Amino acid sequence: MSYFFQLLVSGIVVGSVYALAALGFVLIYKASRVINFAHGHFIAIGAFTAYALSTSLGLSVWIAAVLALAFTAIVGYFTERIFLKPLVGQPIISVIMVTIGLASVFGGLIHMTPYGSGNFSLPGFLPEGGVNFAGISVSYPQLLAVVFTGVFLAAFGWFFQRSTVGIAMRAVADDQMASMSLGVSVEKVFALAWAAAGITAAAAGLIVGAISGLNLEGLVGIGLKVFPVVILGGLDSIPGAVVGGIIIGILENMAAGYLDAYIPGGGTGDVFPFLVLLLVLWFKPHGLFGTEEIERV
Amino acid sequence: MKNKWTLWALAAVLVMGFATAEKVHIMWSGAITGPTSDAGKYYAQGIEDYCSWVNDTGYVSGIEFVCETRDDQYNNANTLRNFEEAVDRGDPVFLGYSTGGTLQLKPLVQEVGLPFIPASYHIGNIDPPDNDYIFLPIASYSEQVIAVLEYIAKVSPGAKVALAIHPSPFGRAPVKDAKKAAGELGIEIVEVQEMAKGLDYTATLKRFEKKGVQYIVYQNVAGPVANMIKDAGRLGLKIKHAGAHYAGGPDLLRLAGDAAEGFLWVTAYYMPHEQGAGAKFVKDLGAKYGRPADAIESVHYPSGMLAAAIAIEAIKEAKNAGKKINAENVYQALLKMNWQNKLAVGPVTYSKKDHVGVDKLRVLEARGGTFVPVTEPFSSALFRKVHYGE
Repeated sequence: MSYFFQLLVSGIVVGSVYALAALGFVLIYKASRVINFAHGHFIAIGAFTAYALSTSLGLSVWIAAVLALAFTAIVGYFTERIFLKPLVGQPIISVIMVTIGLASVFGGLIHMTPYGSGNFSLPGFLPEGGVNFAGISVSYPQLLAVVFTGVFLAAFGWFFQRSTVGIAMRAVADDQMASMSLGVSVEKVFALAWAAAGITAAAAGLIVGAISGLNLEGLVGIGLKVFPVVILGGLDSIPGAVVGGIIIGILENMAAGYLDAYIPGGGTGDVFPFLVLLLVLWFKPHGLFGTEEIERV
Repeated sequence: MKNKWTLWALAAVLVMGFATAEKVHIMWSGAITGPTSDAGKYYAQGIEDYCSWVNDTGYVSGIEFVCETRDDQYNNANTLRNFEEAVDRGDPVFLGYSTGGTLQLKPLVQEVGLPFIPASYHIGNIDPPDNDYIFLPIASYSEQVIAVLEYIAKVSPGAKVALAIHPSPFGRAPVKDAKKAAGELGIEIVEVQEMAKGLDYTATLKRFEKKGVQYIVYQNVAGPVANMIKDAGRLGLKIKHAGAHYAGGPDLLRLAGDAAEGFLWVTAYYMPHEQGAGAKFVKDLGAKYGRPADAIESVHYPSGMLAAAIAIEAIKEAKNAGKKINAENVYQALLKMNWQNKLAVGPVTYSKKDHVGVDKLRVLEARGGTFVPVTEPFSSALFRKVHYGE
């Protein structure tokens, strides 16, 4: 039974990382209906900025992390101002192509730094080992992932429910024209959503870096994992991103733990979540918590 | 006054030499960016620096080498384009990289007859058909894994082993031979698990533990291996870890830290921290061309050097024999090669039937943050039997 619980806990932990990565994606979609294919590169920018600051300037990882969150937020803000703002009102395919192009541009820019290829490890900022309880083990970086996800979920929950800007963002997501008529700056809301997405992406990058080291391919790959998470949870649902992330994490671990032994070569952990995803989408095409949009003809 | 004239004469000879030197192009196509670029980046630097050293020292008189390292991003289509360009230009030799790219190019390499030296040590590269022009710098992945299995069988008779491999032709390369060898050695391969780079390997490791696995042997790159051995340490598993050439090395130590302690690693290359001419040569070259410490310490740096060195040595032989520098003459020189190099633990020898350069390997163990040899250079006793049935 401890085997099952170890897989379950590991799945929740991994799922928390996916959830954290997915939060930024959902924030952008929720506010502006833009699907950001460059999200993985924001994760990489945040992680490598923290690494560069801590190793080149000798800053503590915690200070470097705060600066990296701020820097990635700025990158997100100006990305929206420069590249996305001119596309307001344009066909969705144009916007998608721009974000795909942004992914290539960011990838190219990262390759121009010393971090484009190779493996890097953040300087140790957490104790070695982890927490063991009833035969279940969780490392400190993994625990930090759970804490970060919880903190960001709570912060964004408060932000969208209580703060003026958050309420404005929800209003824009619901009806841009109505929001504008009430004096909400839609452009400002879009830019803030990208900045907030930059913060969560950087946080996810830091956690991934602490758990498995920094590698451009790996970090961008986490950005791709976001897609099944948000489709499962609902593209515009923040709680959905968290639940979707954790479900995908658990499914990966359970499949790897129980099915891999019966499949030559294993690898079911990478495939099984997508099978479940297909099943869910059959019955709930907007995801578990996504807004059902009904168009009347 | 006499010294002055001597200096002028020397300068004139050098200028004339460069003016008349034949330019020979050597192209490498590999992953400087993209998947496995953590290895490819340093491999490329090794090629560049060895070529620079050869040119700077006039190692091959009358030839100026133009070495190009092209980034194919681990994309076979890009490798093909680069290879075709080298063929069209009349390059006498080509340096390759990935397993997939090499396997895909085999028929074309055979058709055009251009000697090809890959970074991939997949035995399938030099197995028939279309295998005449491909030369492995060191022993194959199959031989590396069998060598480490032989070592495991010696220190832990009857051990239960799991293979954790990269999900690609590179990873799968040694599996068949390893299974056959395990049967001969009296050890059991209980599972073969393909593992991509992931955030958590708890499920795989706990499953291995349930099956009584004592050793995990990796045919993978250092990143996923580091994560897996760190997870094993966190879970308190007593499983030992071992790996082939690309799985270990200083990169693994840097990524895994203390968790790498005890890791058994098979390679043919000397380590930079070792005493000896090879290690000194690598360090001196790295320093001369301004490479950072992580490049000089990486095993991929001398690996790239060796690939370039083999190509240049063959060209040198062809030149010394008074032959034109072309693919056929370089091929003939490779077939006769018996070169005592400084970079690896054995000589580079090829023949019509033998397309493996360095036949010797060593097992090294991570101790105190460095890899220490625990065997003398040896050739696998079983490899030829299980692979060729000899």
